[in-house]
Amino acid sequence: MADDVKALSAELAQDPDSLVFLRLGELLRHKGHLDAAHRVALTGLERHPHLADAHDLYARILADKHDFERAFDEWDMTLRIAPDHLGALKGLAFLYFKVGDVQQAAAHLEAAQRVAPDDTGIAQALALAHGGEGGAGPASPAPEPLAPSPAAQPLEEARVFAGLEGAEEGLLLLDPSGRVLGGALKDPAGRDVADAVAAYLAGVSQEAGRTAKLLGLGTWTGLAAEGQHGHVHLTPPTGSALLLVVRGRAVPMGRLAIIAQRAAVAARRWLEAQA
Amino acid sequence: MTTRAIEPWIFEPLVKFVKEAGARLVLLMTSAGQVLAQHGFSRAVDVMSAAALGAAIMASTDEIARQLRQPPFAALNHQGERHGIFLAAVTTGRGRLVVLVVYDLDASSLGLVQLFFEQLVADLQAASPKESVPKQVLAADFERELSDSLNTLFGR
Amino acid sequence: MTAAPAGYGRVLDLVTRVRGVRGAMLVAGDDGLVVAEQLMEGIKGPAVAALAASLASRLRRAMEAAGLGAGQFWHLQAEQGALLVVPAPSGVVVVAVAESDVNVGLVRLELLRAAEAVG
Repeated sequence: MADDVKALSAELAQDPDSLVFLRLGELLRHKGHLDAAHRVALTGLERHPHLADAHDLYARILADKHDFERAFDEWDMTLRIAPDHLGALKGLAFLYFKVGDVQQAAAHLEAAQRVAPDDTGIAQALALAHGGEGGAGPASPAPEPLAPSPAAQPLEEARVFAGLEGAEEGLLLLDPSGRVLGGALKDPAGRDVADAVAAYLAGVSQEAGRTAKLLGLGTWTGLAAEGQHGHVHLTPPTGSALLLVVRGRAVPMGRLAIIAQRAAVAARRWLEAQA
Repeated sequence: MTTRAIEPWIFEPLVKFVKEAGARLVLLMTSAGQVLAQHGFSRAVDVMSAAALGAAIMASTDEIARQLRQPPFAALNHQGERHGIFLAAVTTGRGRLVVLVVYDLDASSLGLVQLFFEQLVADLQAASPKESVPKQVLAADFERELSDSLNTLFGR
Repeated sequence: MTAAPAGYGRVLDLVTRVRGVRGAMLVAGDDGLVVAEQLMEGIKGPAVAALAASLASRLRRAMEAAGLGAGQFWHLQAEQGALLVVPAPSGVVVVAVAESDVNVGLVRLELLRAAEAVG
């Protein structure tokens, strides 16, 4: 375990922008080194202020330190960034239990169950909540250990786009809450940025959908953007999933749209096969 | 996050506004500072002080407008480093109400708050009871009224 | 069309003269408020400003996370229209609302020129 901390610390020191702080912070929290975990989480948050998992990690540490009010704020912020964030839904349910608001606790657990219907821990807590309503009040269940965050997991479904140009570094398929379903994404320096970008893209697609709808433009079909170091094309290949194609500036936007169309066909096929 | 309303007709418009505008905290109160609904507050003491301060700011600006022989100002906005505060009045069938909104600059903007505040005004005006005016809180009942309101606002 | 102040009007003219463009605006990027607008009837300026700025801000974060640097142009495609945006260095965002079959390349060029003029 100490070796893990050392290895993760070294990894973070080598690349302070990486998301390894999530794993390091969680490991330190588990070992009870709350002050160290607190520092790691705060430093990570400074670099990734819009990353839902970073706020969730910080909230867990605050909850362990019994700073429930700030933990509440952090989990609230997590849900603003990622409305279906499981950790935040469970965390808020835990805090509501603590203050005796069983109804709100149950509402958050129900939302968590919609996100993760197979999570037996949620079902148990929910049963406890329903059993506790109107009764003497349930014992407060401690928040469950952090499930390995999407940010910390290796991509296992890179084969969605097998054979397509850039499948190993510039194609990403996401679910509506910003979790990676397949593909891979690297920044111009070759670092894996799939999870960080995925977390932000959930907000982008929600905003794109709302903008098109409220401005009377109908359903949005794509979002293309030029950056200083590369181009991006975002499309919803099905009603809920999201496909991102990234290429260097040398690839013209029109060609990017064609690559995106081909990738969307592959993504739809893959999604149908999973259904 | 929790949204609570003492008067049920406020609930749906408020929930919709919070979601669309990305508001962090919202208070809906009478001009006298009597809270009718809240979103996002976790402590009763914060609600009470925010309501008192919000009502006082509205009263001050109303008075400035009166002295300038102008109609009351439509809205006030203060912007800090991370948060903005938006304060505006809305005329409903239940009288003139004050809305205080705190928003994160990361998650929202003045433009979004203004845009969806217009919708909130329309929704509140459509939903509000037409005949009655807000019940005046009598001094003798004040503590009980306050206690009842806070219990409702925090779901106790 | 609704009118913009004279100086900004000339800048917005660059964009609105392109066939298929239904309106152009200058928007304060941080606040999502209208700075100037030239819009056809029926287009709600404050809504375009607030939503375009919000989308621009979210997209910027995603692009920075991807290591692609600051966004220079983006194009939201929808079934019944499009929104095209170029941020100017001052923090103002130049926005065009257009038909879905507009000449995107031409609008992009005029938006870039308008952004350069705004500074």
